[in-house]
Amino acid sequence: MLKLMKYEFRKTMFSKMILLAITAVFEALFLAGIFLDWENGIVFGVMGLVLCTFIGIFYIGLESLLVFHRDLNTKQSYMLFLTPRNSYQILGAKVLENGISLFLAGCFFIVLAAADYTVAVVRLGGFKELLDMVEAFLTMIQIEVDITVVDSVVAVLEVLALWLMTIVTGALAIVLSATVLAGKRFSGLVSFLIFMLITWGCNTLINHIPELSTMTFTYLVQALAALLLTVVMYVVSGWVMERKLSV
Amino acid sequence: MLECNEIMKTYGRKTAVDHVSLKLEPGRIYAMLGPNGSGKTTLMKMAVGLVKPNSGEFLYNGNPVGRESRREIAYMSTEPYFYGWMTAGDVGRYYGDFFEDFSMERYLYLLDRMELTPEMKAKALSSGMMAKLKIAVTMARKARVYLLDEPLNGIDLLARDVIIRSVLEECADDVALVISSHLVDELERVVDTAIFMKEGRLAMMGDIEELRMRQGKSVVDLYREIYGHGGEETC
Repeated sequence: MLKLMKYEFRKTMFSKMILLAITAVFEALFLAGIFLDWENGIVFGVMGLVLCTFIGIFYIGLESLLVFHRDLNTKQSYMLFLTPRNSYQILGAKVLENGISLFLAGCFFIVLAAADYTVAVVRLGGFKELLDMVEAFLTMIQIEVDITVVDSVVAVLEVLALWLMTIVTGALAIVLSATVLAGKRFSGLVSFLIFMLITWGCNTLINHIPELSTMTFTYLVQALAALLLTVVMYVVSGWVMERKLSV
Repeated sequence: MLECNEIMKTYGRKTAVDHVSLKLEPGRIYAMLGPNGSGKTTLMKMAVGLVKPNSGEFLYNGNPVGRESRREIAYMSTEPYFYGWMTAGDVGRYYGDFFEDFSMERYLYLLDRMELTPEMKAKALSSGMMAKLKIAVTMARKARVYLLDEPLNGIDLLARDVIIRSVLEECADDVALVISSHLVDELERVVDTAIFMKEGRLAMMGDIEELRMRQGKSVVDLYREIYGHGGEETC
């Protein structure tokens, strides 16, 4: 599985390098604005970095589905399906690689934002202001640690679980398009409609989970429900691939 | 070793393979013959699990083909299938990562013999060079069954000899080799058994010497008879 994941990462490495290069350009713009007191540089730098964060993370998820579509519908599929690996391993490697890439990209942009914020505060407001800010933050954490931090972790978990569920739903639609709908008219459109329908169904199901004793607990149960649905769709996709997929 | 029973595959209304049953034995070299669309490629792809049959089954040592059988069956597709970013060296490392029977040493030797280098980008290769690369990476495995789909396609006369020599070097008592090709006369010199496919069906299969003795005809004559005039009677 690790070897499969290694090659999944290699397939998307080029676009990740491009994302990194564009981020570096906006970062340079931002830092130039900070150190040269160039206001436009700061504005464009921040805007670019925010766009890179959202578009980048969205594209990393989307690209995994594009690669999967290509892997099932071109001769490159032989590279995967000639190896002594089953469909569950092949699909699992793709989902895991994508989940890890999204997580690492998220961490990267959070760390970058924190670093930029620190640089900006030190440069524009001085070191004392930074210390004041850290002190204020720590005070806030002390007061609200029970709610804010746990809530944040659960919220991130839920977003990750929902995004993973969307990716696996997309994978299931691609598998259906390449198997039971293969060769049929409008198979692409039908599989897209199936994707929309399953996504709507899963989200409706998750949203109908009744409110529990705390919001945190509700979010946690919703995240677990999303993960459970993800596992169900992963197993169904693997099962269909094992029995029906011809490449 | 490798056998199929009443295997059938359809694509829409077209039947690509129509209830074919055959058995491959170790220590033999098979020529799979037939014009385009006769079902050779689909049959080979079903043998490695790339294509799922509508009915019937392919068995390797008594078990359905799949993940385990791919450890011992090497398949060379007629189409190029390497990732666009790969060099010849990357292709070797990829095979080395997934196939325990792959020998990098032999791969580099075969690349050299085919006048290829590990630095060459796979997507920049001509069709002839790509065919050589596919042969090199496939024959660098120590497999029990080799299925080579049109390995001589797009290859010049001199390179054909190199390829055939590289393929024959892997022949052993415990190895079965299947080569599909349109170049019947070239294969006749090196194979033991001929498998004639026609319109998705197995038209004829037999030991070349026996066919010669029994029917008094060479493989080329039989090919002409089956696929040319008079073919309908033979089938």
